[in-house]
Amino acid sequence: MERNLTHIALFAALIAILGLIPKIDLAGGVPITAQSLGIMLCGTVLGAKRGALAVLLFLALVAAGLPLLSGGRGGIGVFASPSVGYLVGFPIAAFVIGWLMERTTLAAGPAATLASIIGGIGILSIFGILGMGLMLEKSLPEAAFLAGAFLPGDLIKTVIAGFVTQGLARMRPASLLSRA
Amino acid sequence: MTDASSGLVLRKATVRLGGRLVLDALSFHLTESRIGILGRNGSGKTTLLRLLAGLIAPDDGTVRVDGVDPFKNRKATLSALGILFQNPDHQILFPTVEEELAFGLAQQGIPQPEALKRAHDLLSVEGRRAWAKAPVSTLSQGQRHYLCLLSVLLMQPRTILLDEPLAGLDLPTQARLARRFAALPQRLITITHDPAVLADADRVLWLDSGAIAADGPPAQVIPAFTAEMARIGELDADADLAG
Amino acid sequence: MLTLTSPVETWAHPLPAGLKLAFLAVATTGLFALKTPLPLGLACAATALAYLGCGKIFATTGLRLLWPLWPFVVIVGLWHIWIASPATGATIILRMIAAVGLANFVTMTTRLSDMLAVFQWLARPLRPLGLSPRRLALACALVVRFIPVMLERFGQISQSWSARSSRRPGWRALVPVTLAALDDADRAAEALRARGGAG
Repeated sequence: MERNLTHIALFAALIAILGLIPKIDLAGGVPITAQSLGIMLCGTVLGAKRGALAVLLFLALVAAGLPLLSGGRGGIGVFASPSVGYLVGFPIAAFVIGWLMERTTLAAGPAATLASIIGGIGILSIFGILGMGLMLEKSLPEAAFLAGAFLPGDLIKTVIAGFVTQGLARMRPASLLSRA
Repeated sequence: MTDASSGLVLRKATVRLGGRLVLDALSFHLTESRIGILGRNGSGKTTLLRLLAGLIAPDDGTVRVDGVDPFKNRKATLSALGILFQNPDHQILFPTVEEELAFGLAQQGIPQPEALKRAHDLLSVEGRRAWAKAPVSTLSQGQRHYLCLLSVLLMQPRTILLDEPLAGLDLPTQARLARRFAALPQRLITITHDPAVLADADRVLWLDSGAIAADGPPAQVIPAFTAEMARIGELDADADLAG
Repeated sequence: MLTLTSPVETWAHPLPAGLKLAFLAVATTGLFALKTPLPLGLACAATALAYLGCGKIFATTGLRLLWPLWPFVVIVGLWHIWIASPATGATIILRMIAAVGLANFVTMTTRLSDMLAVFQWLARPLRPLGLSPRRLALACALVVRFIPVMLERFGQISQSWSARSSRRPGWRALVPVTLAALDDADRAAEALRARGGAG
C-alpha cells in the first residue's frame, strides 16, 4: 500500500524535475525537453495504473499552482490554453504505454519504444489535435498540421524512452514494475 | 527479566531476500537500556533493523516488540518503537518542519490542530521555534538529523532504533547528537559498523553473515570484533564475487 | 517551493478558493458561448482591469504568464488574415487570452494549500476507489518534498558524469535518476510505514 503511494508520488516528482532541468542535448546538439519522456517512463516503468495515477497527481499539482510544466508554466491557465488536449492526453498516454508494456513479450527496450510511439505519439496526438481543433476552432486536418511540428522531437523521445527502459532492465531487472 | 512481554524478542527469526539467506534463525531477548548491534557491511544488520521495526516480516520464526508483532500490529508498534534512519533524506516525508513533526502524531490518532500545537511546543522547548514553517530543504544535514530525532521523540516510543546514527556528520554535530542520545530515557538500539560508538553500551551483539557471532558486554565483544576486522583487513579477499 | 501565487496581497486573495474556481468555471463557459469579437474584447478589458486593480507589479507578472500563448496568437492571426476572416481570428485570440488570463488570475490569487484543499474536497466521491483525501494530501506533500531532493540528485549524477567524461551526460543520466526515484520511493514507503502508514 505505502509502496504504491510513494511510487506514484516519486514518479510525479520525476516528471516535474524532467521539466525543470536544462534541456538535454542530443548527439547532434539538438536540445529537447525531457518532460514528455517522464510521461513515457511512468508507463514503461510503473505500468498502466500507477503510471497514469502518477501523471494525474503531477497535473493536479500543476493545476494547483506549481509551475512544473516545462518552461515554468503552471496554474489553471494552462488548462484553458490551446495545448490542453496534450495535458488531458498525458495520463491516458501513460496508461496505454503501461498497458502495452504489461502485455507484450518483447525485450524491454523495443517494447518501451513501440509502446511510447503508440501511446506517447499516437494517443497523445489525437488528444492534442482534438484540443487545438476545439480551442482554436480549426478543422482536424488543420490542427493536425500544427501538431505535426512536434513529431520529429517526439519520435526521438520514444527512442530515448526505449534506451532508458532498456538501461533500467539491464541495471536492475526488478526495477520495471510494469513487468513484475 | 525474562518476561517476554517486555523488550524485543526474536525466536528463530529467518529472513531470505531474493533467495539468499540474510538472517539465519536468530534468537535473542533484548531488555537492556543501551544495546549495540555491530557488524560489517552486508552482515545483515540493516535487515535486522527492518525486521525489528516491523518493516518486513520474517520468513520463519517470530518477532515480538513488548509482546506485539511489529509487522502485523502497526498501531501498537508506533508507540512501542521508533526508528532513526541513517540518511535523514530517506526519512523526511514532508516539505515543511511542522508538517513533518505533526505527521507521526496524526498517525497516532491525534487531531491535526493538536498535533501541530504539540510540534510547535516541542520546537519551543528545544529553542528552535523559528523552524516551524521552514522548508526542510533549507535545513543543514545536521539540522535534518535533529528534525528526524524530534519527530521520533514526539511519538514517545519506548524503544528507538538508530541506524548508523553518527555516520557522515561533522564532529561538533556528532558530539551534540551523541549527548542528546545519552540523555534520552528510552531504550536505544544502535546499529553500526563502528565499535567506538558502542563503548558505553550495556550489551553488544556482533552480527556476522546473518548470525550472532558474539553477545555480551562491550568490554568483551568489541576487542574480539576489532581484532577480527583487523585480520580481515590484512587479507585481499575483496576480489571474489558473491554467488 | 516556488508557486505561482502572487506574494502581492490583493483584494482577491482572501476570497474562498472554491468560490473563485466556481466563478472561473462559469465565466469560461460564458466565454465559449460568445461568438463575436466585441463582447470578447470587453471580457479581455474586464480581465485586464481585474489585473490592474491589483497593482502594476501584479499586472506585469500576469502579462508574463500569458507569454507562452504567443505562437498560437501568431499562427491563428496569420492564418485568418490569409483566409480573409479577421473577425473569426480576433474572436479566437481574444477568447483564448481572456480564458487563460482569468484562470491565471485565480491561480495568482489563491494559495497552493487552499487550492489543494478544494481538490481534496472535490475528490471526496472517489473515496470508495481508495483515494481518500488524506492519501491525496500525503501524495501531494511527498511530491513537493522530493522535487528538490531529486533535482539535487540529478545535479550530483551529472557532476559525477562530467568528472569522468568530457561529453555532457545527456539522456544517459536518466537511468540512474530513475533508479534513484525508485529507491527513494522504497525508502519513503518504509519511513511512512515506520510512522503509521498511508492509512
